[in-house]
Amino acid sequence: MLMQLTLGGLSQGMIYALIALSLTVVYRSTTVVNFGHGDFVMAGAFLSYVLVVLAGVAFLPAAALAMIAMFVLGVMFNRGLIRPILGGPHIGLALMCIAAGYVLRGLARMVWGREVLPMPPVFDMDPIFVGELVITGDAVFIIGTVLVLLLLFFGLMAMTDLGKMVQAVYQSPRGARLIGLNVDRFNDFSWGIGAALGALGGILVAPVSLLHPDLGASFLIKGFAAMTLGGFGSLGGAVLGGVLLGLAEQYAGAYIDSALIEITAYVVIVAVLFIRPQGLFGRKAVVKV
Amino acid sequence: MTLLDVKSLSVRFSGLTALDDVSFTLEEGNVRAVIGPNGAGKSTLFNAISGYVTPTSGTVHLHGHELTQLTPHEIAERGIRRTFQNGGLFPALTVLENVLTGLHAQTHGSFLDILLGRSKALKSEAENIHRARELLKLMSMEHMADTRAGDLSGGQQRIVEIVRTVASDPPVLLLDEPAVGLSPEARAQMMEIIHRLAGEKGVGILLIEHAVELVMAAADRILVMAAGARIAEGTPEEIREDRAVLEAYLGHS
Amino acid sequence: MSQTMPTATQRRLRTYAFWAVPVLLLLLPLATNPYTQFIANGMLISVLVTLGFTLTIGNLGQLAFANTAFFGIGAYASAILAAKLGVPWLLTIPLAGAFGALGGFLASAAALRGIRTYYLAIITLAFGELMRWAYLHAKPVTGGTDGMPMPREALFGISLGDDSLKFYIFLGVTVLLVKATLNLMRSRFGRAVMAVRENEIATASLAIPTARVILVTFMWSGFVVGCAGALFARHVGHVFPESFGMLHLIASFAMVLVGGLGSVLGAVLGAVLLTALPEYLRAFPGMEELFFGLIVAGVLVAMPMGLASLLRRLSPVFVERFYREAP
Ligand SMILES: Nc1ncnc2c1ncn2[C@@H]1O[C@H](COP(=O)(O)OP(=O)(O)OP(=O)(O)O)[C@@H](O)[C@H]1O
Ligand SMILES: [Mg+2]
Repeated sequence: MLMQLTLGGLSQGMIYALIALSLTVVYRSTTVVNFGHGDFVMAGAFLSYVLVVLAGVAFLPAAALAMIAMFVLGVMFNRGLIRPILGGPHIGLALMCIAAGYVLRGLARMVWGREVLPMPPVFDMDPIFVGELVITGDAVFIIGTVLVLLLLFFGLMAMTDLGKMVQAVYQSPRGARLIGLNVDRFNDFSWGIGAALGALGGILVAPVSLLHPDLGASFLIKGFAAMTLGGFGSLGGAVLGGVLLGLAEQYAGAYIDSALIEITAYVVIVAVLFIRPQGLFGRKAVVKV
Repeated sequence: MTLLDVKSLSVRFSGLTALDDVSFTLEEGNVRAVIGPNGAGKSTLFNAISGYVTPTSGTVHLHGHELTQLTPHEIAERGIRRTFQNGGLFPALTVLENVLTGLHAQTHGSFLDILLGRSKALKSEAENIHRARELLKLMSMEHMADTRAGDLSGGQQRIVEIVRTVASDPPVLLLDEPAVGLSPEARAQMMEIIHRLAGEKGVGILLIEHAVELVMAAADRILVMAAGARIAEGTPEEIREDRAVLEAYLGHS
Repeated sequence: MSQTMPTATQRRLRTYAFWAVPVLLLLLPLATNPYTQFIANGMLISVLVTLGFTLTIGNLGQLAFANTAFFGIGAYASAILAAKLGVPWLLTIPLAGAFGALGGFLASAAALRGIRTYYLAIITLAFGELMRWAYLHAKPVTGGTDGMPMPREALFGISLGDDSLKFYIFLGVTVLLVKATLNLMRSRFGRAVMAVRENEIATASLAIPTARVILVTFMWSGFVVGCAGALFARHVGHVFPESFGMLHLIASFAMVLVGGLGSVLGAVLGAVLLTALPEYLRAFPGMEELFFGLIVAGVLVAMPMGLASLLRRLSPVFVERFYREAP
């Protein structure tokens, strides 16, 4: 029972980790929290649905195409709509992101109306039985993909100059500009990567869940909860926060009440912000007079 | 009469002693300058007196009443008003509105009076508007009353900030580098204002200022700080002669 | 740039106009059919929701998204009081406002804990979703997914199902709350609210109790929006959890922005304009989301100060923050 819950929590948590990580990538470059990110996730899921079910493309190339499309969208969004108001108040930036999300959601609904779409299973692998534990192909696929991706991501950060760039821009965009970094291009890239990784979250859940235009909203909140728990701005924290959230949901749902699964994320947000606002690894904000 | 009595005030920020056992008094109608190199702890002294940082030890008394544990707005209400080194105006509000915020505590009428538009609240508001206009007139700024504060020149902003700070006739004023970044004429005007406030209204003024000539001319007494501690105290003449000051501070300029 | 203030004549004109609008609106039910009357009623509700929202995000400058929560709390409070406890609906309006204010109190608790900017946005978003979860799961009290029907009631022998009668009641409530909010914003309190937005630290140095200003602003915002919730409960006759989700939030954002952040006049304009249009879009799935999304993005890029600032530039009659000087 515990093992089964842990496996379920891990595979959910990996998705949350991916979404929180992609939110953090965007946050660290432009210090914008993308309130429309849930809809980027939804868009990834829908694009892969269109390609697989309607256009008959195989799943893997479809996933790659969807991610590339979302990368481009992320870059365009940053260039066209975020950069012009980047110096302005937080409110404008938050609203701009929400607006972008709604446009995506509206487009999805225009095409699909109020239907709920099932996607054909991708990895029709027979479940593996280990004692009591049932390991499904989807769980293996999700956990495996995200693990590989995380290794790649953090490996690149550690081994190339990318990691230093990320750090420099986060510390001080002006400083980074002074030492010759092309911060605008870096921001474009970060938004692109953020959008593509978020979309991948949607692509991975598509085969195991029902698709509808509003599916992003709950992922956004889970992403926020994971980010808050791990500490705003911390890449590793986002991943750990996501995994912990996935596990917490499963345990709370099984041992306390299944209705709690839906609100674990909200409770985590409220509790962390009130008790330890910097989360596990975030830096504490200092207000100077 | 002694207005402000600061006794052995210390402030520590996790390891750094920003203010180290500083004591002095401020008399009615006196200007006391606080000078010292960057990072000496001058602003920290102001923050500790006005409640923005909690002193690690020591006390502050105004008119013999202790203020040390009060919040900033409570201390302001007791009669210590301050300006900020980086400017504390509200850029989106007009000049008149900025001055009116300085009269907040002087305006009568409860929340309910305001909601219902009762004459008690309206009358008090009208009186304060009148008063704010008079104050602006004294500074020859009445024609700017409806200008956004953010659109003023740096010098004008500093003056409006002072008008706002003294609008409620506080007995004690803390001015954190009010003349920084001003043209020589504007600086002279600022020192003139400070002089008048102390001389005509009997306000006790603590003044942080880097320009030594200005300080020597404007201050009755001078407190010299370095690395959080007081290194000298006295009249401008005494400070001019002081060895420690020459080495620690004046030697630099 | 100096803002030209309205002259004495312009001010008088404006006072007349303020009261002339509701008086003329009394005639509106003569000119409407049931459908347009229903939309007009919805507009009045939007005016209140937008007004409450603009106070916290525009005037106080806090990124708080709790308004949908206040709205739901007000609507459910009204429905529960009316249906379960038999309280006459008219009486539930101020009570719903009080529950909304309680919601405002909770949201301000977060702000006062130093949870600001994006953190405040996220926690207030979570607050709204937690409330929705509560409506869904507290079935014995809220009716769960089935929602809460409003009981039949009559006033002066006219059924409260009558849209014209509702219009008069809604209009009365809206005029009262708009007037009270205007009084508030033109007072020392309103200035203190904006001062907190501009520079909270400096505000405290002027003997202004900033924490209380934040608390009271959120509570008044909650009160206004809570009252709107009670009107909404009667307006639609049946309260469902879905009414208080994200679509409501973006619609409110759009109304606030189109009118102009922090402007009472803007709140009225934005609400009136954007309540009517999407009615015609409702038939086409997705158009509502697309519409509000594009409006918000467009306004942010092209007209960040909203309609109210355009009007102000047209004539000082529209300047809201004037002073009531001695005659
Ligand atoms: N809130 C704070 N937290 C931590 N350290 C602080 C804080 N405020 C000030 N300090 C430190 O305390 C020391 C004294 O700073 P303070 O601002 O009082 O100096 P100052 O004399 O006003 O200097 P300046 O002339 O540059 O304004 C500095 O080293 C500063 O970095
Ligand atoms: Mg200083």
